[in-house]
Amino acid sequence: MITVEDLHKSFGDHEVLKGISNTINEKEVVCVIGPSGSGKSTFLRCLNLLEEVTSGSITIDGVEITDRKTDVPKVRAQVGMVFQHFNLFPHKTVLENITLGPIKVLNQSKEEAEKTARELLKKVGLADKESVYPASLSGGQKQRVAISRALAMNPKVMLFDEPTSALDPELVGEVLAVMKDLAKSGMTMVVVTHEMGFAREVGDRVIFIDQGVIMEEGDPQEMFNDPKSERLQSFLGQIL
Amino acid sequence: MEHIIKVLPYLLEGIKYTFLITIVGVALGFVIGAFAGLGRLSKSKIIYWLCTTYVEIIRGTPILVQILFIYFGLSDLLGINLDKVTASIIAIAINAGAYIAEIVRGGVQSIDKGQFEAGDSIGLTKRQTMWYIIWPQALKRMIPPLGNQFIISLKDTSLFSAIAVGEVLYQGKAYTAAAFTYFEPYLMVAVFYLAITIPASIILRRVERRLDV
Repeated sequence: MITVEDLHKSFGDHEVLKGISNTINEKEVVCVIGPSGSGKSTFLRCLNLLEEVTSGSITIDGVEITDRKTDVPKVRAQVGMVFQHFNLFPHKTVLENITLGPIKVLNQSKEEAEKTARELLKKVGLADKESVYPASLSGGQKQRVAISRALAMNPKVMLFDEPTSALDPELVGEVLAVMKDLAKSGMTMVVVTHEMGFAREVGDRVIFIDQGVIMEEGDPQEMFNDPKSERLQSFLGQIL
Repeated sequence: MEHIIKVLPYLLEGIKYTFLITIVGVALGFVIGAFAGLGRLSKSKIIYWLCTTYVEIIRGTPILVQILFIYFGLSDLLGINLDKVTASIIAIAINAGAYIAEIVRGGVQSIDKGQFEAGDSIGLTKRQTMWYIIWPQALKRMIPPLGNQFIISLKDTSLFSAIAVGEVLYQGKAYTAAAFTYFEPYLMVAVFYLAITIPASIILRRVERRLDV
């Protein structure tokens, strides 16, 4: 589904990603963990070209997206992204937030887009919120709307950039529950997270990124119970 | 006291021109400013420098020089006879455009980076993101400074009495020249400006409060 080969990313002189290679299979849920500043978010943002790749290649569903000739908006339309800070459009209602992409990018009719949006809102438990503005929602509700907005584009893969890190602790559960449902439905997901419980329960594989490289990867149970590298041991020791 | 009454018809005639020049000029200036402001955010070096040069030249020269340059200078150079009102409208448009460009740039830059990324992430093109996501939010923040610019430009039209366009100050001046009295006509000229600018400020403040900016 996604093949990453020798991915490098620098900001000026500072090299954040130092050669990352990985393959993410269809329907796989991959959790990316690592200390802050390790490059895990940058890695995720490269996957939908929010960051320009310095060198290396990324192929999604047979299309090399790092090719200069790639139609970037078209790639992004097929890759859903959920941000730490939700980034909902404050001047649009919940329904409009979700239908904007389908109407403008996928050229769906308003009726069609709204129908899909309502179904999605129902699924994330926010059917009664379609006409309110984001400002009146809680963080957890905002993030569920943001997930619906991404799903409305019918993406091939969903990227999550620390989706629960900006939430009050009591609101984390509702967002993780939606993500768990999504994983069960067979969505391919790449999740940068600090929620080790989620990684353990839902993740098919965990990637531990540190200092711009994949330090260790594998089955969540094995990695958490028996971390090989010293870095992962100390990282887990700090957060668990 | 009699002059206060007598000068009124002159000033009422002048206020028409003041309004015409300000409203049309600032409206055109907004169009110019929107393009120039976005141009100053452009990745293209040429567009950036063109827009920056425009803004710097206009902000760095007095508007009186600008109107004289347009009305006499350009007419002379191109051998055309520019209508006074047209020249005034062009001057306000170009002048306000430069200041509005900065308002637009500031407005767009004040929008959170996450909004651009969210637009990108659902597959909108740069242009669509700008139009549907950024612009509506930025415009809301631009309203207070745009209102300010409108008031400034309105007062600036008084400088166009220098080319004898018949706006409020020119009319007042014309009256003084005929009546050989100065205090009352100029007092009324000032009152006329205040009669527009004070209500404009009040309306602006109300709009600001409603928009919660």
